[in-house]
Amino acid sequence: MNDRDDVDLSRVWVNVAAEVWRRQPGRLERATARLLRSPGLARALLTTPSLLLPWLIASAVVLAVGALTQVSAGQPLVWLLAPAVATVGIAYCYGPGLDPAWELSCTMPVSDRLVLLTRAVAVFAVNAALGLIASAATLGTHASTGTAQLTFGWLLPMTAACALALAVAVGVRSPFVGAGAGVGAWVVLVLGYGADHGPTAAGNRLSAAALAPVVADANLYLPCLVVAACCAVIALFAVRRPQRGLL
Amino acid sequence: MNIELTDVTRTFGRNRAVDGVTLEVGPGVFGLLGPNGAGKTSLLRMLATVLPPSSGTVRLLGRDPAGAAAKTEIRRRLGYLPQNLGYYPSFTVAEFVEYFALLKEMPSGQVPKAVAAAIERVDLGSKARSRLRTLSGGMLRRVGIAQAIVNDPELLLFDEPTAGLDPEQRVGFRALMRDLGQQATVVVSTHLVEDVGAACSEVALMADGRVVFRGAPEELTAQGAGHEVGDSPLERGYSAVLAASRKRVAA
Amino acid sequence: MDDDELIACLAGGDDTALRELFSRHAPWLAARLRKALPSDDVEDVLQETFLAVWRSAKSYRPQGAAGAWLWVIARNQAALLLRRRGPAALALLDEGPLADDPAEVAAARADLAVAAAAALGPPGCPDREVWRLLYEEDRPVAEVAELMGVPEGTVKSRAHRARRLLRAALGGAP
Repeated sequence: MNDRDDVDLSRVWVNVAAEVWRRQPGRLERATARLLRSPGLARALLTTPSLLLPWLIASAVVLAVGALTQVSAGQPLVWLLAPAVATVGIAYCYGPGLDPAWELSCTMPVSDRLVLLTRAVAVFAVNAALGLIASAATLGTHASTGTAQLTFGWLLPMTAACALALAVAVGVRSPFVGAGAGVGAWVVLVLGYGADHGPTAAGNRLSAAALAPVVADANLYLPCLVVAACCAVIALFAVRRPQRGLL
Repeated sequence: MNIELTDVTRTFGRNRAVDGVTLEVGPGVFGLLGPNGAGKTSLLRMLATVLPPSSGTVRLLGRDPAGAAAKTEIRRRLGYLPQNLGYYPSFTVAEFVEYFALLKEMPSGQVPKAVAAAIERVDLGSKARSRLRTLSGGMLRRVGIAQAIVNDPELLLFDEPTAGLDPEQRVGFRALMRDLGQQATVVVSTHLVEDVGAACSEVALMADGRVVFRGAPEELTAQGAGHEVGDSPLERGYSAVLAASRKRVAA
Repeated sequence: MDDDELIACLAGGDDTALRELFSRHAPWLAARLRKALPSDDVEDVLQETFLAVWRSAKSYRPQGAAGAWLWVIARNQAALLLRRRGPAALALLDEGPLADDPAEVAAARADLAVAAAAALGPPGCPDREVWRLLYEEDRPVAEVAELMGVPEGTVKSRAHRARRLLRAALGGAP
């Protein structure tokens, strides 16, 4: 035994610390990492809830209130609210809105474009699920509000509004403006439709029940899809544009 | 040569942030000095592959970051500490460093040891499982340094790294820079002249987007002979070169 | 904070206590182990020792003898390391500097026996019997197989399981 090789205690400690400080990813994270073929992307995606917790709670609350109102008062609200909350969530997926360490994230091998895409898809899916649950809960409770089109028809305009919000957020580099654009476009569409097609038998022009047929109009499906597709493409390309000097 | 810039320019609208910079940097600690607005941050962002150049060629670690595959490969071997590093308040130090280790596509098996080594290297071992919201500004800066070095990068870019560190921590940081500079190219962008003098083997001085001086710190000091502005020889050299460059621009 | 308090904090999940314990005790443990093992092995043993401390801190009874407790764990980890190398290397345990006085050897053996009892079950159960015959009485595999009335393969697999259980009980990796 030669005394030349000394015991490196700092190396020993690093090895001990590696085990003690190690984080064990949960089953969901491991599965997501396998699905996305990237542990980094999976972690980026699953940290989104903690970053978006306020939005998540707000969405659930808003939709729950909407569903309850729909069941008790007969005013269909879910179709109106779901796209609105979704657009806000999606707009805030864009870098600076969500990610305080965004500038650093732009230098990572895991592409920030990919992170944005997976986050946006996840947020959309969660909101769609929440909306569908809220809708399904009100199915059949009132004849006028329980139609299939009212229950699911808002998904398509929601896609369009979300894509628009994302495109604007990325283009203008402001999640706030993006959210405003998405919600604004949705409000304009709803009110414009109501103005165009006159008051229905349900009475007051501005009631939710009166405006609801906007999601049932098949003529709007194709334009919604086109808007959604264009905006998605714009968003994905605009994300690549370089930033100005100071963020 | 880890960095090769040839006549690189970067414009934002009508503003030329970086104006015709040609630079070759090998291993060692390279200081980037200059007043605010000189273009240091934009240059650093180009080196970090965040910004493409408006004109000129950039080669990092022997490759051109314009291609997607090359860019990803460069980023795996890169460490970057921006001037304003945000953090996730609910994350612990270990979680934060691990997050970026994963985003840097480090092999999963190597991650725990690399994270532990990085945390110990910046002397945050006693805070590894503390939440970031409980840490002071200087400690957060060190967390930022830890995430930059976790993947043992060949190219390290630090933008104002000593902001918020007390003098003792700055000394420790400079020692770390010298250590890192043994294997990697470390570019330190700062407006604090003494950071440069103590740690850097080479210095470049930027003003108005151009490199107005390139050489060893001693050479910069020599430029200051007879100049009055400045509290230390290096500072005098710094202001002498800046003054000369402004005279040239005005002329 | 004295050692007992540190270990109590450790048991509660405080990793800074482990760090402090390491800085206090790793140097002398390393020096002692170094008398019998090359430095690479010392590093491995120290690493496993402190990981074992982290995992089994709850079982420590505060008696002011933290150093002795740590040394017992370190020796056991050294034993596990040497056992993997073969029976010849194991001789280091009983004759080399790792066993400095007979009382300590006996104490270590007693610790091992207690741990064996806890991990392997009551006397007479197959795992315990295999352990007793094979390791405590040092009989060859063939003789143990004959005594227990089972094939040699069964003896070997029971021994393997007993070692695994014991290793887990001593705080090593399962």
